[in-house]
Amino acid sequence: MAVANPPAGTTGGSSGKATGGGFSWAALFFMGPAALLLVVLLIFPTFYSLALSFNRGRGGQFSEWVGFDNYVRLFTADPNFLRLGFPPSGALWNNVLWLIFYTSLCVLLGLIIAVMATRVRYEALIKAIVFLPMAIAATAIAIIWRFVYFPSSETGLLNALLGIGGVGPVAFLGSPDTVNWALIVVGVWGSVGFATVILSAAIKGISSEVLEAARVDGANETQIFWRIIVPMVSLPISVVAVTLIVNVIKLFDLIYVMTNGGPGTSSRVIAFAMYQEAFPAGRFGYGAAIAVVMLLMLIPIIIFNVRRFRTEAVQQ
Amino acid sequence: MRTFRLVAPFMALLLVLAACAPGDDNGGAASPGDNGNGNGDNGGTAECPEAPSDAGGGIVVTSLWGGAEEEAFRAVLEAFTEETGIEATYEANRTDYATVLRTRIQGGNPPDVAIIPGIGFLRSFARDNSIVPLECYGIDVADIEGEYVPGMLNAGNVDGTQYGLMAKVNSKATIWYDPERFGEFGVEPADTWDGLVSLSDEIRNAGGTPWSLAAADGWTLTDWFEATYLKMHGPDAYDTLFSAEGDWTDGTAQETIEKMYGELLTAENVEGGTDGALATAFVDGIAKVFSTSPSAEMYCCGAFVGGIAASGDVNPELEGQFGTRYDWFPFPTIEGGAGEIGDISYGGDVIAGLTNREEVGEFLRFMATVEAGTTWAEGGTIISPLAGVDTSVYPESVQPEAEQIANASSAHFDGSDLLPAGPDLGAVLQSAFRGDDVGALLEEFQAQVSNAWETE
Repeated sequence: MAVANPPAGTTGGSSGKATGGGFSWAALFFMGPAALLLVVLLIFPTFYSLALSFNRGRGGQFSEWVGFDNYVRLFTADPNFLRLGFPPSGALWNNVLWLIFYTSLCVLLGLIIAVMATRVRYEALIKAIVFLPMAIAATAIAIIWRFVYFPSSETGLLNALLGIGGVGPVAFLGSPDTVNWALIVVGVWGSVGFATVILSAAIKGISSEVLEAARVDGANETQIFWRIIVPMVSLPISVVAVTLIVNVIKLFDLIYVMTNGGPGTSSRVIAFAMYQEAFPAGRFGYGAAIAVVMLLMLIPIIIFNVRRFRTEAVQQ
Repeated sequence: MRTFRLVAPFMALLLVLAACAPGDDNGGAASPGDNGNGNGDNGGTAECPEAPSDAGGGIVVTSLWGGAEEEAFRAVLEAFTEETGIEATYEANRTDYATVLRTRIQGGNPPDVAIIPGIGFLRSFARDNSIVPLECYGIDVADIEGEYVPGMLNAGNVDGTQYGLMAKVNSKATIWYDPERFGEFGVEPADTWDGLVSLSDEIRNAGGTPWSLAAADGWTLTDWFEATYLKMHGPDAYDTLFSAEGDWTDGTAQETIEKMYGELLTAENVEGGTDGALATAFVDGIAKVFSTSPSAEMYCCGAFVGGIAASGDVNPELEGQFGTRYDWFPFPTIEGGAGEIGDISYGGDVIAGLTNREEVGEFLRFMATVEAGTTWAEGGTIISPLAGVDTSVYPESVQPEAEQIANASSAHFDGSDLLPAGPDLGAVLQSAFRGDDVGALLEEFQAQVSNAWETE
């Protein structure tokens, strides 16, 4: 964090306060290029999208001011984006499913594998296997799993296994009832290694004295896991969870390759809906509105992250 | 407070935008028919864009055709170059065609000529002035109208302005079968709906499975629906349904879906049952009828099915055996229905110019000639919408289709391609096939469709 503090004129105290007095050419020189890139590639497009979301946006141009029309349609008249009812559906709801199940399963499995792995001799091997999918591009993962889910027992691994049990071929990706779960499983498979590695490093950081003290005091292994290990790695867990949540909100590639949002529109997520509306359908204003919704979803996470960095800076 | 500090700039910006953007609109680039419905803009007052100054002598044509389709089209381009001396370059984008095309247009680097897949796209391109009306090239629709099969130029017309020419068409009113196996079952193609139902029963009673349905690809179901609707409720109702005035909740659509799934495509008539069909994709569906180990007897809709059946994708042994091992009969009339046997649905692509250059005009004019149509037809991958193309120039296996189209009493463009982008009729039909409540599905679909028409 020290690097981020400008060298000149730091007033100490609250890091939220701007630096007082002195202007430093050196600071400008070092920050300028990064700031310029941020403005051109991040801040300008953000405001451009925001403006476009209040517009019809035909052909990506500002064609016709529509006020909040895009947003109103998005939340009230577009079952592809959000359909309330039982069960709810739509891209936003699918993202909620992803958010809940993908994030919690990754963290939970990651934690379990990390704790279990530290207790066996072939720990390195297990971690390598779990981490392997991280080294595969998401597109490749998607193609691999399309074969696994293929709805015939000759091509599809999973259906071949089911076939042994006498269960007929199931179209995992072909039915709206199963497609989201099938995709979430793939997502978890691809990300659990990340959670495992981070959490395993954190668990290794717990000093053995603490664990021994607990054992001496008569704590059993379950108690040690829940009362000692989990609280002591809570910060890494939150880091992992936040990263996974960001992954979910920007999730696109897996859906695009595996189902293209289908069958019908039942496996769309918001990032995919944004692409679909803006580019193939050419409704750029509508797509921009979805992008803004995405941004709004990310803001709480940004705030959370910024806060955490601040508390860390203070602790140091 | 801290939270507020982070959010405050966004809120401030929102307010600023809300205040200034309407003014921005008026000062922005000229847009035709400001409310998008094009009213008052009819009658050939099209704005012509300026010709790009840095253009070379040649033209660039883009499309999504590859393989045999590309080869056949390249022959047309060569014939054009030979005739006019203008170099024509072909660029294919096999995937994400619409995305690439839109991005090129937005980036100020459009191709000169593009194949536009779907009329929804054509309308949206026309409304953001991405494509150039024919009159800007000095092409008068009245002059070329006579060259086309009646009605086939309508598809290129947006709000009264002609933007494109129908380039190639495919009949969607064909039911494919294997004559040899029909002989073994002792059955004949049917020419009425009830005949088709009893034909299906006969096949089933003889131990066969009458239909292969590729319900995993929603668009194959829309072809089924369109063909059935046209025969059941007639051309006028069809044209209305797939326009902005269409009402999906008036009962006709529901009646059609219930007839389709209730009488013909029942779970027992369809290979694999409901679940199996929903897991079957387009080409796999064809393979169920025409592979070396077939499991169903008939496959509907799309005259291109035959070409795929006899290709390496399904069963190359069928090549040259059209009429004996693979053949089709026209989608039948329905007892008490308003459509005749000659009322057919068809799919197709429109060709349109994107830059206002003389060479592009030359090319479009050339595309409307019988000579171009004949050159293309000889490739065997398309049916020309040009009436003057003699059916004898087609390879034998596509001649009947060419005749069906040339003799059609009325030809209607693929309805799901007429709808604006967004609402997915295929998904509705998949859900209905799965057994969901048709009335509720259509009610929701109606809301989506009218929403999409409004925002198009």
